[in-house]
Parts: sequence; structure tokens; C-alpha cells
Amino acid sequence: MENLNIETTKYTPGISFDCKKNILEIIGESYPENIAEFYAPVFDWLEEYLGQLKDKQDVIINMELVYFNSSSSKVLLDFFDLMEDAVGNGKNIKVNWIYEEEDEDTLEFGKEFQEDFEELNINLVKKG
Amino acid sequence: MVVDKLYSFKKDLSRQGVFFCFSGPVSQDLLVEFGTILKQKIKLEMPRNAVALRVFSMVVEQAQNIIHYSAEKCPKDNKAGKEEELSIGIIAVGYESGHYFVLSGNVIEHQNVERLRKRLIKLRKMSKEELKKHYKEQRRKGPDIISKGAGLGFIDMAKKASRPIEFDFKTIDENYSFFSSKTVI
Repeated sequence: MENLNIETTKYTPGISFDCKKNILEIIGESYPENIAEFYAPVFDWLEEYLGQLKDKQDVIINMELVYFNSSSSKVLLDFFDLMEDAVGNGKNIKVNWIYEEEDEDTLEFGKEFQEDFEELNINLVKKG
Repeated sequence: MVVDKLYSFKKDLSRQGVFFCFSGPVSQDLLVEFGTILKQKIKLEMPRNAVALRVFSMVVEQAQNIIHYSAEKCPKDNKAGKEEELSIGIIAVGYESGHYFVLSGNVIEHQNVERLRKRLIKLRKMSKEELKKHYKEQRRKGPDIISKGAGLGFIDMAKKASRPIEFDFKTIDENYSFFSSKTVI
């Protein structure tokens, strides 16, 4: 399969999913007017990717979202649900939730996602 | 408006602490631009970045509420379909007693007033801990990504606000009311 690359815009994050290196990155801000339109192809890609992934494969996910609106937060939950299922199926997925030092809201969101997921490994990483 | 009233209009806004006010059709591109300029302004005044980001997040949620839910549209009887429609509302941002605040208003149909009022009263009674729990529950059972939003906007704002969200409904005519809300950061 092909890598997925979507350029950053003012209100949608840059997506860089590398299926050879198994590194998935989402970086930027997320507050599109039409949430489904932007994320539908991202989820299509993820389902194909997870479907072809070998057992015990290491995957690193780097998420660096400076700001996301409330409907994007629902999308992030769906995203982590997919990953949690994949972990349950024997994949080795690690999420780095990257936040700016002063951005307590993004840190708080990261902590709340940690609480919601038992098997998925979500690390809170302060941007240095 | 008569030309010599503009200055008193601006002074009125200033007296009430308002330093930004927009009334008219709101679009995604517009909210990005005024969100950005507000973030810039607040960063210049406030040493803590988090405050600017919080004001920005409230403005985005409120402006997107107007885009998705305002019953005042332009043109009024649009036959070209939803895509062509503009949603009208008002957003004001200000500073008083050491806190930034965001005011937002738009027209809604009478039939939606009670449901919205109940939701907002419920949020006003919740502690931070309860709001966090409520947010997580609603996010978990919320509509999928096909819908316009996740219905989480007001809970998110209540979580981030320093005091309960204030709101008001005014009857316009037999079909419509005007909904206003104020969130304090």
C-alpha cells in the first residue's frame, strides 16, 4: 500500500502516515467545518493499514495537536479505539501525545485519553 | 445607522469591556482569521499562552455553533441548497475584572429552546469533575463523524471556563428566539 500524506492547512493538521517505517504522524490544528470530509480518507487508510499489519509489529504514532475543536476530539477517540483494538489483536502500538510546556489543556486531554484506554500505550511528551 | 453614532457605538462596546465584535454572516475562513488575530492580540497582553489558546478555542466553538445551528440564513429562502447558505450571528470578545470573555448569539427556532435551556442548566450545576465525566460519556456515545458536530461544544467550553456559562433567550416572533451565551475564561 501507499503512504498517506496530507498537507497542513490553517484548520486541518498535516498527516504523514508511513506504512514502510510504521510511523504515523498528525501535527497541527484541527477544527474543520466539515469533520467527516477531512477524516474519512484518513480512517479508510488506517483500516487498510491495520488490516495488513503483521503480528507484533511495532508502530509509533506521534500526535502533536496544538488545538483541536470538540468534534475533532470525538474523532481522536475513534482513532484511539481503532488502535486499542489493534493492540488487542497483538500489534505493538505506542502513541506519543506531544504538548507544549504551557499548554495545560492539551496535556489534560492527553491525560483523559490515558484514563480511557487500558491497553493502548499513550505517553505524554513535553515538547523540548 | 447615522454616521455620528458610530463613535458612541464603539464607546459603548469599550465601556462594557468589549474589544472585538462581529455581527453578520460567519464562515469557516472568517473564523480562522479572527481567531488568529485574537490569539495574536491576547498573546501580546498575556504572558501565559494558555489563556490565548482558551479564548481562541471558545471563539472557534461559538463561531462553528453559529455556522451549524443559526436559524438566520442568507439568503432567506435558499433553493440552491445548504452549501450556498450563510449563517448569521454575533460574536464579541472582551476583558473585565481580570478575565477574558466570549459572547455569542444567534437566532434559533422556538422548538429548540427548551432542549438547549435544559442542557445548559444541567451544565451550570456541574462541578469540574462532573463536567469532565459528562464530557467523556457524551464523547463516548456521541454521534459518529458523519454528523455536523459531536454535541460536545458547550461541555468543552464549560470545562475550560472559569465560571458557569451564562445564557439568555429572547422571543423574536411566533417562530424564533434569540439565543445568547457568555463564557468567561
